[in-house]
Amino acid sequence: MEAINTTLPLLWFALVALFLTLYLITDGFDLGVGILTLTAANEERRGIIINTLSTVWDANETWLVCTGGLLYGAFPLAYATIVNALYIPITLMVIGFIFRAVSFEFREHSLNKTFWNIGFGGGSLLVALSQGLILGGVIAGIKVDEAGNFIGGTWDWWNLPSILVALTVVQGYVLIGSTYLIAKTEGELKRYHYITAKFSALTTFSGALALTIATPMFYEQVRDRLFHQPEVWIFAAIPILATGAVGLLMNSINLRQERMPFIWSIVVFLITILALAFVVFPYIIPFQVTIYQASSSLSSQAFMIAFIGFFVPLLLLYNVYLYRVFQGKVISPHYGE
Amino acid sequence: MSFFADTVMLSRIQFAVTSIFHMFWPILTIGMSWYLVVMEVLWLKTKDTNFYHHARFWSKLYILNFGLGVASGVAIEFEFGANWAPFSLAVGDFLGSILGFEGTMAFMLEAAFLGIMIYGWNRVPPLMHLLATILVAIGATLSSFWIIVANSWMQTPSGGEMVDGKFLVHSYLEAIFNPAALSSWVHMVLAILETALFVIGGISAWYILNKRYEEFFSKSFKLAIALAILVTPLQIIVGHFSGEEVYHNQPAKLAAIEALWDTVPAGESAPWNVLVAPNVQDSKNNWSLSVPGGLGMVLSMKPQLDEPVLGLNEWKPEDRPHAVSLIFYSFRMMVGIGFFFVGLMGVSLVQWLRGKLTVENITAQTWLMRAWIFAAPLGYLAVESGWMVREVGRQPWIVYGKIRTAEAVSHVPASNVLVSLIAYTSIYLMLLGCALYFGSRIVRQGPNLGLPIPNPDLLKSSKAESLT
Repeated sequence: MEAINTTLPLLWFALVALFLTLYLITDGFDLGVGILTLTAANEERRGIIINTLSTVWDANETWLVCTGGLLYGAFPLAYATIVNALYIPITLMVIGFIFRAVSFEFREHSLNKTFWNIGFGGGSLLVALSQGLILGGVIAGIKVDEAGNFIGGTWDWWNLPSILVALTVVQGYVLIGSTYLIAKTEGELKRYHYITAKFSALTTFSGALALTIATPMFYEQVRDRLFHQPEVWIFAAIPILATGAVGLLMNSINLRQERMPFIWSIVVFLITILALAFVVFPYIIPFQVTIYQASSSLSSQAFMIAFIGFFVPLLLLYNVYLYRVFQGKVISPHYGE
Repeated sequence: MSFFADTVMLSRIQFAVTSIFHMFWPILTIGMSWYLVVMEVLWLKTKDTNFYHHARFWSKLYILNFGLGVASGVAIEFEFGANWAPFSLAVGDFLGSILGFEGTMAFMLEAAFLGIMIYGWNRVPPLMHLLATILVAIGATLSSFWIIVANSWMQTPSGGEMVDGKFLVHSYLEAIFNPAALSSWVHMVLAILETALFVIGGISAWYILNKRYEEFFSKSFKLAIALAILVTPLQIIVGHFSGEEVYHNQPAKLAAIEALWDTVPAGESAPWNVLVAPNVQDSKNNWSLSVPGGLGMVLSMKPQLDEPVLGLNEWKPEDRPHAVSLIFYSFRMMVGIGFFFVGLMGVSLVQWLRGKLTVENITAQTWLMRAWIFAAPLGYLAVESGWMVREVGRQPWIVYGKIRTAEAVSHVPASNVLVSLIAYTSIYLMLLGCALYFGSRIVRQGPNLGLPIPNPDLLKSSKAESLT
């Protein structure tokens, strides 16, 4: 029984992390492409850029709906407390999603596209910024009582480090979005996004570097975890790995490779997410509530794993199929052609 | 406490606003997804290219509505935690897993295969495309199942008990198949199908009335009638069972539906109110217009009641729903539209059998076409009013008999909720306006009958060149 007590929350932590990772990568490039539409030189190019997303954006965004549902089901305390504490950035994110999604559909039918172009690009930017503020807010810590209920203030998430996190997240999304566009487009568009990829790789890297230094300086608890034996070796290895990956990414951009920049961006994302998971684990509300305290009852976790465990491989399988069906370059600004 | 400083009230309104607007979109797309399956099967079976062009035309409206549904739905998922954290925490063991199921086994299925359904015509073989369309419909319908299960459980919580303010599940099967679940879901699925059928039929009627593509749209018009024959009468029967379920499990809601203040014992006959002016302060109706003996006819199809019907006065004022007029009139709106649909279906069927719907005759049926155009928005109205009855009638409980709504609200400053409420309301109003504008634009443009039929022989070569 004791083994199940610890294994199930661990398993669920891993599953929620898997869904969140898939979300950050897929909707990451999706949002990045959205932000990049703001820089498109003309309407035709913007159409092609948006068209690279038409078949996949619904599925990409659904990873968030699943992550939210699973977080709620497996760790109700974490879901309720985190979402409650971050009321404002979460509402902003939702509004960003709404604008982005409807602009995507309305733009296609509209004759004067300017408003919807701003809605799509601006909505994507708003989502990315609010997600950065949410992440920053979670790292900054959420004040809770002994029962785990939120007792902090409305603006606790608004501080310098989380603004830095938000800007870095935007850069990261632009990076993965640029490399996705390199893989999906041709000609002028592709050449242009080699430049945005290179630029955003640099800004993301500087942001990440600043955060790696700033977070332990600002937050004592992060510092305690980082400089503790023997974990310190893991934490020392991660920046080295990340720097290596960024180097390989830059190299592939310089060599004008087609798909490798996207793959190396994904690797950079994976390393960053892994680092965050290491810093946080076993907490789910950092340094306050562990996954064991926040988890739902064992029967609930067992019931969910029995059903969802079966569906996870299926989900992955048909999402891969979806990407395979639509692989290749996008050249037409009108979707469905 | 002033209204604008009341977090509970503002949060309730915000949830009502977001769900009322959200519902506009999935009820059309879930119903339409099955209509698209039928069209595609007809195309593959008959090889009649009209059916293919129908599938392409209606899927344009489908995708427009789907995008709006997703966007507005994300808002609701996060509201559970943002505005209703104590509630989410107390019932997370059950409700959380249900939302997890909805996302992973239903919504993702719909979202992923949607890409293939809308854009994959020239990318996958016809049968694979049909499979994608079917999977979209199954995913959408499963989504509705899990959402209705979650909501029904809040109406008739079962399968566990409250321990220290948290709901512990003893039996998941019992909680999922709670007393309200199946009848509510079937009622909702039929309502969804009705809404979509009357929207499709109404738009088709508009084309016929305006003598545009009459032959083309007489096909979708007749298909809508044919499917309505199955759906509309069944809905009346299922609706009756839903009413019985409410009678047994939520008697206070039933009393509010009927604006009944004093209990009627078994064996007696009671009037059925058609119009009332309920007075919540004095616990009575100021006046009413009613059918003598009607309540027994409505509940058990004979003038005398088999079982007693409790009146609102059986409950303390703080334990019963307050918005009696809203519940009373919403209910009558829903039922009235349900019967109107049966009638319209019946008349249309008669005209069809009389040979009035052939290509030569159909444009002359102006009044019938006008009735269908009039009916197009009514499904939405019926669904929204039905939900009004269901949700407002559950008050003052968020989980019936277990957790009060007032105890379930997050500790968020009222000003935050007020700002988010104003933001959501204005955004949704704008969206609804745009959805109507762009939807009618798609309709005015009409179908693209010149769209080439996907050619399976070309599949391989086009894939190799990656042209599309």
